[in-house]
Amino acid sequence: MRDVTVRYASGVVALKNVSLDIRPGEMVSVVGLSGSGKSSLIRTINGLVPITSGSLRVGGYHLESARGGELRRLRGEIGMIFQGFNLAKRTSVLNNVLVGRLAHTTTLRTLLLGAYRASDREIAFEALNRVGILSKVWDRASSLSGGQQQRVAIARALCQEPRLVLADEPVASLDPPTAHEVMDDLRRINQDLGITVITNLHLIDLARSYGTRIIGLRAGEVVFDGPVESASDAVFAKIYGRSVESADVLGL
Amino acid sequence: MTVLTIPSRRRAWGRSTAMIIVGAVVIGAFWSVDVNWARLADLPAQVMHYLWLMFSDPNWSKVPEALGQTWKSVAMAWVGTVIGILLSFPLGFLAARGFSPAPVRWSMRVGFAIIRAVPEIIIAIAILSVTGLTPLTGALALAIGSVGTLGKWGYEAIEGVDPGPIEATRASGGNIAQILRWGVWPSATPDFISFWLYRFEINVRSSAVLGLIGVGGIGDMLTSYTQFREWSTVGVLIIVVVIVTMGIDAISGAIRRRIVEGT
Ligand SMILES: Nc1ncnc2c1ncn2[C@@H]1O[C@H](COP(=O)(O)OP(=O)(O)OP(=O)(O)O)[C@@H](O)[C@H]1O
Ligand SMILES: [Mg+2]
Repeated sequence: MRDVTVRYASGVVALKNVSLDIRPGEMVSVVGLSGSGKSSLIRTINGLVPITSGSLRVGGYHLESARGGELRRLRGEIGMIFQGFNLAKRTSVLNNVLVGRLAHTTTLRTLLLGAYRASDREIAFEALNRVGILSKVWDRASSLSGGQQQRVAIARALCQEPRLVLADEPVASLDPPTAHEVMDDLRRINQDLGITVITNLHLIDLARSYGTRIIGLRAGEVVFDGPVESASDAVFAKIYGRSVESADVLGL
Repeated sequence: MTVLTIPSRRRAWGRSTAMIIVGAVVIGAFWSVDVNWARLADLPAQVMHYLWLMFSDPNWSKVPEALGQTWKSVAMAWVGTVIGILLSFPLGFLAARGFSPAPVRWSMRVGFAIIRAVPEIIIAIAILSVTGLTPLTGALALAIGSVGTLGKWGYEAIEGVDPGPIEATRASGGNIAQILRWGVWPSATPDFISFWLYRFEINVRSSAVLGLIGVGGIGDMLTSYTQFREWSTVGVLIIVVVIVTMGIDAISGAIRRRIVEGT
């Protein structure tokens, strides 16, 4: 991405001239205070937030010009994981995971219940198996715990057979042990499947232990970008604009 | 002890004014209605008289016919509800914020509001000249009436749906139809089914009233026998209508409760 600026309709400038190169297979942690533009950064990558100026190339797509069907095809190749899981709670785990196949299936098939191809279901089962909750495949999403729901969301992303997974504060609504399990899952899909993973985190220790590269945002600007080894406490103090506090780490 | 500074309470002038106006209208309405108050004194005796005529010796032999006509009314309500659902469903989406452009949205909403303002019986009279005095007229009138309420309830439910799954379906590359199917529909299903059943209950009651203009069903039968002053039959008809309507309400209400609670 080159000189990307994002300005919302409200006039807020969420990203200012951001330039980044992220190579395939990287495991990136994006850190910054609340309001620093982490979510905006992640959302520009799959076109949920339009860029105001600059250019952004993802895979073979040019985000500044992509529209309609092209944008949907791009999104089909990028998995996304949310802080609030964003599952359809009243339907089965399988139906939720199959949402990951939408962009790869004809509309008519996806509108009818159970009209997905057997191969699509196979992909969904494998995705659930990879995050260890295949046994819950027929359960209602609402009956699962938070950690299990987030794993369903990861399976939904995997089901897209993505080349890139974006995770926006994936563990912020989970308790510490579960947070580690979910971060482990993300690391595994990065290491075993070679999928690029970009994760927004506000906790320093999680960013350090799960990322290989850290990008620090402050007020919409990149103030740090480097390997995890070089991201010292002083670096975090610069990103946060204040000294590091105990509230900035998960502990455990 | 510190003295608390309590913010002065804003007087709700608007509310007070509204209350005074409503009160004035109510009192004025009473004055202007040309009621022969003296006859009011006779009312209890009159009511007792007719109740006696109707229920002292009900003409039970009319029960089968009454049930047949009630069935016709319920069928009218059912057909009307189904057509209403089929029409209101797509229109409801067109009226929902985030799923259609503002001009379309607002014209839908105004349309629903106009329909809601017109009683079904007026709609029936309006389409009578085209469709004739048939149960179909009743069903169509109920269908149109249903669109008004179901459309409004529909878009309100759609707009109130959890935005999370919508965002997730959009992020995985879904098009608008897929977003509706997998982002909106799973959360909105219980609401929709519950609205449909509730509207069916309303239509069952309305269908009896529609009989008054002669489109058939139990209302039609009731009007005829009232005109013949055959009170013992009228009594039976009232009993049948009340029992059937309450029965349908009870069943449909129980299903609705299960749907809403079982989620
Ligand atoms: N849809 C929107 N419309 C207008 N302004 C927005 C929108 N989304 C975010 N913003 C603004 O853009 C700025 C960056 O927000 P963003 O959500 O990217 O921050 P963040 O780093 O993800 O914060 P958090 O840690 O709280 O999630 C904030 O000032 C925010 O108020
Ligand atoms: Mg955020």
